[in-house]
Amino acid sequence: MRPQNLLQLTTQKCTTGCPILDGLLRGGIPCNSITEIVAESGSGKTQICLQLSLHAQLPVSHGGLAASSLYLHTEFPFPFRRLHRLSLSFVSSNAPHLPTNGNPCDRIFVQSVHTADQLLEIMSKIEPFIENSRGQPPVRLIVIDSVAALFRSEFDNTPIELKRRSCLFFKISSELKALAKRFNLAVLVTNQVVDVVAPNVGINGLKIGNLGCLYTSGRRVCPALGLAWANCVNSRLFLSRREEVIADKNGKFNGESGECNQTRRQLHVVFAPHLPESSCDFVITRDGIFGVEKQLLD
Amino acid sequence: MEICRLPISASQRGKLISAGYTSLSSLSSISASYLAGELKVTESEALGILNVASHSHCGGSEMSSGKSSIIDGAQSAWDMFHEENSLMHITTSSADLDNILGGGIHCKEVTEIGGVPGIGKTQLGIQIAVNVQIPRDFGGLGGKAIYIDTEGSFMVERALQIAEACIEDMSEYNRFLRKDLQACEVRMQPKDILENIFYFRICSYTEQIALIDYLKKFISEHKDVKVVVVDSVTFHFRHDYEDMASRTRVLSEMASKLTNLARTFSLAVVILNQVTTKQTEGSYQLTLALGDSWSHTCTNRIVLYWNGNERYAHVDKSPSLRSASAAYSVTPRGIRNSSSSSKRIKMM
Repeated sequence: MRPQNLLQLTTQKCTTGCPILDGLLRGGIPCNSITEIVAESGSGKTQICLQLSLHAQLPVSHGGLAASSLYLHTEFPFPFRRLHRLSLSFVSSNAPHLPTNGNPCDRIFVQSVHTADQLLEIMSKIEPFIENSRGQPPVRLIVIDSVAALFRSEFDNTPIELKRRSCLFFKISSELKALAKRFNLAVLVTNQVVDVVAPNVGINGLKIGNLGCLYTSGRRVCPALGLAWANCVNSRLFLSRREEVIADKNGKFNGESGECNQTRRQLHVVFAPHLPESSCDFVITRDGIFGVEKQLLD
Repeated sequence: MEICRLPISASQRGKLISAGYTSLSSLSSISASYLAGELKVTESEALGILNVASHSHCGGSEMSSGKSSIIDGAQSAWDMFHEENSLMHITTSSADLDNILGGGIHCKEVTEIGGVPGIGKTQLGIQIAVNVQIPRDFGGLGGKAIYIDTEGSFMVERALQIAEACIEDMSEYNRFLRKDLQACEVRMQPKDILENIFYFRICSYTEQIALIDYLKKFISEHKDVKVVVVDSVTFHFRHDYEDMASRTRVLSEMASKLTNLARTFSLAVVILNQVTTKQTEGSYQLTLALGDSWSHTCTNRIVLYWNGNERYAHVDKSPSLRSASAAYSVTPRGIRNSSSSSKRIKMM
């Protein structure tokens, strides 16, 4: 056993494809680490995952990993149309940096996962799969969208089942981390949210990250899968959305009140070893997800 | 030290050697009357020899406890007290935290630090690994650090940031307090600080056990290591370990090895731990992971928690510190005092 030299151990990042979001994340999603995106449905989790799988194909000089990606999806159906649409705009804006042969979608390997045990089984096959990736660039990004869907129905709310569940969390996480280290992979997982019902969370110390910022659609939420899973990820990002009336910026409305509503979306860094707590607004367009600079908002 | 170098008469020396007393330690635990019988001299003469021997033992060797020691290496509480006072602490870069910790992280002790994800455990770990390298001229230890990363949360770019801020602070200190002393220029570079952190990335609990076993050899080759940070001890023991009784045994063996390291090489051991929920009488409470028997193994236990929007550290268990809490914050420059200056330290 020998210590590693920290000077030669720089963390590679995979660009998100937007300079503003990359600025917030200091270059993008880090390799050799697990990044989690937490959000309610319709906030743009899958959008970021798809966009990242495309941008991982960019050469290293352009912020990518020059690599294919493995996309494990647990929510159905897989959004092929959306990926196709994103790939068109990705190709049109990055054509000179891409390999000329083939469609970028060919370099995203999609696999559906139905249960947690199946996920473990697939993960044991990832290693030979990466080693034998002939023809295509090696896989250097693993996306699991979403990890919560695997765990939210299968387990009962009894101590024994919950213990089995958290054991699985640690097992999955440690295998992902081992893969990430072995092949210098970036791992991106998504997670759902649950509503916070208790009026005074935090009194019992049951507070993971700074819950203060976790508001979405005017509701107080916290990431699903609890404390055990929170110990399994290295960084946690949170996407929030909020309906806003353009005319009156201070008013908050839940629900639909006509055409003057717009959705304000924000990306928050809840915790990460290398990032301060911070946030940034973003929009989702036809061409993908893009950060909005702070000055433009005011 | 040999008998032949004792300042005693030649005939006494001859008698000692012929009776089989060749080293000072052989004289250290016998009585004057016994020696008188062995050497066939008067008791007062034997007492004289013993006095001379114990004097030169105290003066000549590093062991201060010569005559009174029953077992090799044993110390009196008084000696330990003096030694403890002379030992240096590793600052956390937050004066409030240092305050409740009695000056900082103690050498020769095992300190466990636990808290929820995102509270700043890894940040504190990196900060300690950087701060242990503050040179002696600046009130530091001038040592090196071993960082055992089991979770993959150590980020080089973050360590570099903290190291740069640490060097800036030292230069600042230089300018304010030592205007006339040119000798104490800060010669350290952030690069040097990173080079002096021995970083091990661990991917399974077998690797973790093997590394802890290997540390003794490693540290005896790198004597300037003054802190071992384990981030975190928990992760690999929370899966794949069905047999809880054997887990407890393995963990306490690991802890005793770390305690031994701390003692033998007078270095600080910092163990980071996760938290888990514990069901007591129907309600759920947060406690540090790995169970009750583990909680006995560390000398000090610090719990980090959120209070409103502020981070707090609480001394949960310590033989010498009083139970107290202090706020701290995680800034781009590292761990610092909390910005809100009111109610900074709460003694209980």
